[in-house]
Amino acid sequence: MTHPLSDNAQAILLLTAPLLLGPGVVGDAELLSPGEYARLAVHLRAVGAEPASLLGGDVAGLLAGGEHGLDPARAERLLGRGVLLSQAVERWAARSIWVCSRADARYPRRLRAALRHAAPPILYGCGDAELLEAGGLAVVGSRDVNETLLKYAEDVGALAARSGVALVSGGARGVDQAGMRGALLADGRAVGVLADSLGRVAVSADTRAALRDGRLVLVSPYDPTAGFNVGHAMQRNKLIYALSDAALVVNAEVGKGGTWAGAVEQVSRLRLVPVYCRTAGPPSEGLSALMTLGAHPWPEPTDTDTFLMLMSAPPAEKPPLDLRSSAPLRPTLPAAMLLSEAIQGYASAPVQVTDVDAEPAEAEPAPQQTPNPPQAPDSPAAQLFSGVRSLMLSLLTTPKTDAELSGTLGVLPAQTKVWVQQLVEEGAVERLTKPTRFVSRRASLFPTHDELGASSSKPKKRTASSRR
Amino acid sequence: MRFDPLRALALLRAGASDPSVEFREAQEEAIRHVVEGRGPLLVVQRTGWGKSFVYFIATKLLREGGAGPALLVSPLLALMRNQLEAARRMGLRAEAIHSDNKGEWREVIERIHADEVDLLLISPERLGNEQFNQEALQHLAGRVSLVVIDEAHCVSDWGHDFRPHYRLIQRTLGALPKNVRVLATTATANHRVSEDLKSVLGAALTVRRGPLGRPSLKLQTIGLRSQAERLAWLADRLVELPGSGIIYTLTVRDARLVADWLSAQGHVVAAYFGESEARPALEDALLKNKVKALIATTALGMGFDKPDLGFVVHFQAQGSPVAYYQQVGRAGRAVSHAYGVLLSGAEDDEINDYFIRSAFPTPAEVEAVLDALDVAPEGLTVNELTLAVNITRGRIERTLLLLSLESPAPIVQEGGRAIRTIAPLAQPFWERARRLTELRRAEQQQMSDYARLTSGHMEFLIAALDGDPSPHQGPALPELLTSVSDATLQAALTFLQRTSVPIEPRRQWPAGGLPTMKVKGRIKAEHQAQPGRALCVWGDAGWGALVKRGKYRDGHFPDELVKAASRLVQEDWRPDPPPEWVTCVPSARHPDLVPDLARRIAAALGLPFALTLGATGVRPEQKHQRNSAHQGKNLDGAFSLIAAPPPGPALLIDDMVDSRWTLTVAAYLLRAAGAGDVYPLALSVTLGEE
Repeated sequence: MTHPLSDNAQAILLLTAPLLLGPGVVGDAELLSPGEYARLAVHLRAVGAEPASLLGGDVAGLLAGGEHGLDPARAERLLGRGVLLSQAVERWAARSIWVCSRADARYPRRLRAALRHAAPPILYGCGDAELLEAGGLAVVGSRDVNETLLKYAEDVGALAARSGVALVSGGARGVDQAGMRGALLADGRAVGVLADSLGRVAVSADTRAALRDGRLVLVSPYDPTAGFNVGHAMQRNKLIYALSDAALVVNAEVGKGGTWAGAVEQVSRLRLVPVYCRTAGPPSEGLSALMTLGAHPWPEPTDTDTFLMLMSAPPAEKPPLDLRSSAPLRPTLPAAMLLSEAIQGYASAPVQVTDVDAEPAEAEPAPQQTPNPPQAPDSPAAQLFSGVRSLMLSLLTTPKTDAELSGTLGVLPAQTKVWVQQLVEEGAVERLTKPTRFVSRRASLFPTHDELGASSSKPKKRTASSRR
Repeated sequence: MRFDPLRALALLRAGASDPSVEFREAQEEAIRHVVEGRGPLLVVQRTGWGKSFVYFIATKLLREGGAGPALLVSPLLALMRNQLEAARRMGLRAEAIHSDNKGEWREVIERIHADEVDLLLISPERLGNEQFNQEALQHLAGRVSLVVIDEAHCVSDWGHDFRPHYRLIQRTLGALPKNVRVLATTATANHRVSEDLKSVLGAALTVRRGPLGRPSLKLQTIGLRSQAERLAWLADRLVELPGSGIIYTLTVRDARLVADWLSAQGHVVAAYFGESEARPALEDALLKNKVKALIATTALGMGFDKPDLGFVVHFQAQGSPVAYYQQVGRAGRAVSHAYGVLLSGAEDDEINDYFIRSAFPTPAEVEAVLDALDVAPEGLTVNELTLAVNITRGRIERTLLLLSLESPAPIVQEGGRAIRTIAPLAQPFWERARRLTELRRAEQQQMSDYARLTSGHMEFLIAALDGDPSPHQGPALPELLTSVSDATLQAALTFLQRTSVPIEPRRQWPAGGLPTMKVKGRIKAEHQAQPGRALCVWGDAGWGALVKRGKYRDGHFPDELVKAASRLVQEDWRPDPPPEWVTCVPSARHPDLVPDLARRIAAALGLPFALTLGATGVRPEQKHQRNSAHQGKNLDGAFSLIAAPPPGPALLIDDMVDSRWTLTVAAYLLRAAGAGDVYPLALSVTLGEE
């Protein structure tokens, strides 16, 4: 089940992964962000090298002349973590956790095809990786829901199981787990895309039998030892959609939480799969709002034939929303939300790179000769974000939490998160932990406390949130 | 990195405190190889060749060039006590973290965090340790530029030396990216072992071998079946052996026994084993020739460096020719004449058999442990497992260790609990266990062949190590006499019969307590037994055979044992305050055997006998209960007080002592009913794992 790591996977892990050896330890602040790594990958491709080439010695030579912004000394420090890597690999392997890099042929084809350059460079998993190619129905919803909705999610899971369709979820408490439980109890298959704690879930008694039987696979783009992190939870949403054929939103709150953000991102921009909303049971303002944004009503099938028909025949595309005429259509939405959607289209667009890693030829998406962003660079959204970028970078010369930022900017926290995340992915803003704060990289004249800590290898004290 | 030969030589001279010393054959080349980063290197050189200078100097040069620290993994840390000095002299900041220096960990970890450690020495067990990984390794491993694996033959499944944690190292090495420097060192690697290492470290592995012959060593084998004969031989011949040396035994008990005997015969010796207090002081005494010999288990190990060691004698045969070569090779490194003598006896095979048999858990043990963990959502502690499965604590721990070192592992240990993973125990585990067991048997056979050799000893060992088998010229030393004097032999026999075995009282009720008796946790001091004694170890060379025959053949213990027991109490042991009456442990299965023995011992001591305890019914035999939790539970409510105990201290008699729970429960009942101190006295103890 676990494979030896390729040299490319080793190099990518060294550059991007925190390599945690136990709960209660923190990773290195020097790690390359996904955006930084993507730029490096482009550079390496351009000079005819691959990530593994960096293990060969001449790091400075390989990095020379690129626009990746990576300081050779920082690269050397990250690549010098080989012994740490070997220990982390051992820790994962003991828990039957496999690791796969975007440069490996066995990287899930669905993720590569759907997310292209935004596909996570590293994927950790436990269980039969083949299940990741099977598609299925994504069931998403929040953690805190009532019994009725839990029962609803379980029933959907059971119906999917009876229909031979896998259930894809985020594996979180609440709707996610209920859907998964319904599927597994009915002898079906499930895919859990975790935002944290893969190492713990992989050995939990609840999932053991299904993992062992090859009916469940758990995956995560985050270190198996890492704990919960809101940003991670938001980011893994697109993986849930990418691994499914259709998605059903069981509940969502307008403008709040990962379910909302993930669904909006799908219906308004990524459009990887059809997104349905629950129509049976208690009404939901959030679901109505999602449907006005482009989600479809779920016809609530009860038999396998109808269910399979639904899975195989995507609903007719809704016409793209006309923002200018949207106000009467969506009376429940605050004006700022409309603005945010318009911006999201550009703001969270994948980093515009043409190539990544050293992907095997057959799995490699055709290089984009002409970058084709969803919106032209001079679109109103792009102009707005350009203003937002310089404003935020100047605000973030000192670290701020996202709550502080949304207070200063006077926009919804969800919107702030989207903007900040985009700047993090660009590498312009850095995420600090304990508490989570953000700081501008370029505009920072003085290293922050955390950066100092990282470079002098001082112990980073923190209170362990250990399990027992 | 560029290698600077002048700087390397300067470091060697500083380390050796000798301004004119030159590099030994191949030392400089090995250092150059490591510093220049020319791929993984395996150095096979005899102990004392100077492997530590290779990694000390290489590390120092790497540090001076701005590289990160080195991590040295070595199973035996005696290595450092007389070599750390050399490191300090060359300005290399070396620190160690292992189970013997827990008090220093905090400080060492702080120095790691501050990047004030150039070389960290750890035992292989550390790598699998959760706490060490989090507190130390997480902060060090991100900068390590060189990994040194000492005793690298252990990495191979075919190595003679099976150390479970080297499985972990094997995988660690396999998972290292190629930009990490790796140096593996060993004194002994036959072809199969170096092939195995090649498969772990990659085909690019460079192997550098030195010669195996030891021209200064005179090897001899002497077969003396009984322990008494071997004790007598040692007493008679020790003075003829040159300088000071090491006498190896297979068990801690034998190390103590031989040391006690030789001391009683007027020789200046001391016992040395893993749990010895003051191990550094004992090593120092040997280094400075203040003792004629240390009587040691393998705890006095590889890397202990005394260049003028005059002899190595084995009281019992080692299990494999390679292990034997390693141990005997410690003699005569820097002197022209030294003896390596193998005494072999009747019990060697039995002890080695035990080591071979207990190396791996049985399929039934593995199944029981995994089944118990399967139904425990939060996993189980070892204590909880002793309640769940009837397997000795030691075997449970062994099973957990070996399972957790598999990859993927069927269990992981986290926060003191064993937790089941999704991985099944794969077939290769059993195949490896079978192959290793067969290998051990073959090596055992090789050792019996060696023990019977009359000539060509060194050639035999070199051939076993795949070295150059051409004829070997030994030193001009006479063969040692193989006979022993009658007087010494008689003294040795008496000594063995007068050697008693201590019985330590238990201080803690088993996990879960004993519900019928309503006891749990610590045993109150006023309810504990006093320290007791046994005449012998079950089946051993003193009284062992007589006890066995009395119990299982005759159903009656002979007067010799009664006499020996009363002499032990009156002359050797002399408990204070002395016992005033005698009682015994009851048995429903053999109601008269022990009371009869106890009555006769009481008569010989001139003390009254009182039957105070009765058995409430036939229980499953205690010897089939494998751990404290099961043994305790089996005895819960098994005995009752049938008569009020007389006042004053009592002698509590039993024939055989195994887990000590019988004595513990009996002493508790007596003390709770108002008896004075209770001194357990048994004919024999079994040396079980509990």
